[in-house]
Amino acid sequence: MRFSALLRKELRESLPWMLLAAIIFLAIGGFALRQAQLYGRYDWSERDFSSGSFTGSYGLQYRRSPLQLIGIILLLTSIGLGLVLGVRHFWIPYFTRTWPFLIHRSVNRSTIFWAKLAAAIISFLISVGAIWVALYSYSCDPERFTMLPIKRVFIEGWLFILLGLIVYLGTALTALSTARWYTTKIFSLAFATVIICAVMFEWRLSWAFAAIIIGAAILLSQINYTILNREF
Amino acid sequence: MTETVLQTQGLTKYYGSTLAVDHLDLKIPRGSICGFVGRNGAGKTTAIKLMLGLLRPTAGSSRLLGCDSAALTPAIRQRIGYVTEGHRLFRWMSINELQKFQRAFFPKQWDDKLFADMIEYFNLPRKRKIKHLSNGERAQVSLALTLAPNPELLIMDDPTLGLDAAIRRQFLEGMIELIMRQGRTVLFSSHILGDVERVSDRIVVIDKGVLRANCSLEEFRAAVKKVILSFADSPPAEVDIDGMLHCRRSENDLELILVGPADEQIAEWAKKNRAQKYQIVKMNLEDQFIEFTAPANHRRLFQWEDK
Repeated sequence: MRFSALLRKELRESLPWMLLAAIIFLAIGGFALRQAQLYGRYDWSERDFSSGSFTGSYGLQYRRSPLQLIGIILLLTSIGLGLVLGVRHFWIPYFTRTWPFLIHRSVNRSTIFWAKLAAAIISFLISVGAIWVALYSYSCDPERFTMLPIKRVFIEGWLFILLGLIVYLGTALTALSTARWYTTKIFSLAFATVIICAVMFEWRLSWAFAAIIIGAAILLSQINYTILNREF
Repeated sequence: MTETVLQTQGLTKYYGSTLAVDHLDLKIPRGSICGFVGRNGAGKTTAIKLMLGLLRPTAGSSRLLGCDSAALTPAIRQRIGYVTEGHRLFRWMSINELQKFQRAFFPKQWDDKLFADMIEYFNLPRKRKIKHLSNGERAQVSLALTLAPNPELLIMDDPTLGLDAAIRRQFLEGMIELIMRQGRTVLFSSHILGDVERVSDRIVVIDKGVLRANCSLEEFRAAVKKVILSFADSPPAEVDIDGMLHCRRSENDLELILVGPADEQIAEWAKKNRAQKYQIVKMNLEDQFIEFTAPANHRRLFQWEDK
């Protein structure tokens, strides 16, 4: 009952950002996929590239995988959503001075954090996760696309969503940090950036997932320790 | 023996090199209504946050309802009502939403009728969002939210700050509603001595982080005195009377602020030092507090010379 009250509150606070992320991702992702659908039907060998309307690599990309175009949009949307939700959940309460009210609830401090994290996960699942699944399903239709996406592209998408959550955790720890200097404060965000780079440059999916799990475990343990011992 | 619901021992807090609370030793018995007073920056908010475990003490400890403040369990927090300074609530929530949110944390003790009565008494629009309420209305919502779970111990950090006289009176009446219930203990910090005088039976004075007084209101009222002595010629150079806080001199007069001495002792001193006459001036609580916490070298902001 208490957890669900906290969860509802956090979800309500996340709602505008969840919707914004969903709209951005759906609009840009949907547009890109639609473009791929329209132009991907052409056989590029028959196209007149001399007009400059298509480059060779541009045409080639379409032929490789229409869904791959959306990957970078998904990554950027996830990172943006992670940042915004982290700020909303952990930084804004300092400015509105609502931390003391929240901390004095009859729950453990870690419960407050888990409610925030649960709200963030739900937000990611609804705003980018569900749309990613919808776009993948759409691009799997052979009637619409000549080149169907491979499963790896779909899994990579989930990696990008998890990276958004890593950014969320990094932002949370930055907001909770009691370090005096901003350079020290943003250390956890820098750590999240390192995880993103490690995942982006790792070709093996299992290693990429491992990097995310290890990074998340480090950030979670630090956040839990900080929230239990921090002054509000 | 009276049970102590709030106790601090050597409670100390430094912010960097700044001392905010200095070895605070405090005991608040069950059932008392305690006014926690001090000037701006005296350390009231810090002390309250230390008591509630929101801040970590640099040294010393504090216990609420028998539990160490640093490790207050959810069950203990459930028994403590806390009104934050400035009545900071979630601005996007309506009063109804806040009620639902707060009720979830007090499933057994939440009094829906009391909450509804208070909202009605304060004439608050239930569907209006907190961000659209005035300061006074926010304070009233805050009080209703805190009283509805029927807390054993109510701690309020400057709850009447920034409220006009009418709203303040309503707020205090709401507070009295809780006080009327047996065994409830209230600690509230305030700058407004009139409020303290109206509802408190105990006063705690803190100054620059140091506890200066912790006694019943009557004891405080009786202890802090202003005495004006007139002399035929210049007053004595040294004033050696017990409990002297401040001594101000004019040509033939001596104004003393004293804590503690009996009237007979003052009369004896006046006689011994050949004062022509002396007068014990009755002060209100605000004057007593100002004199009690004034620095030793306190001067008036504006000084006019008699012409």
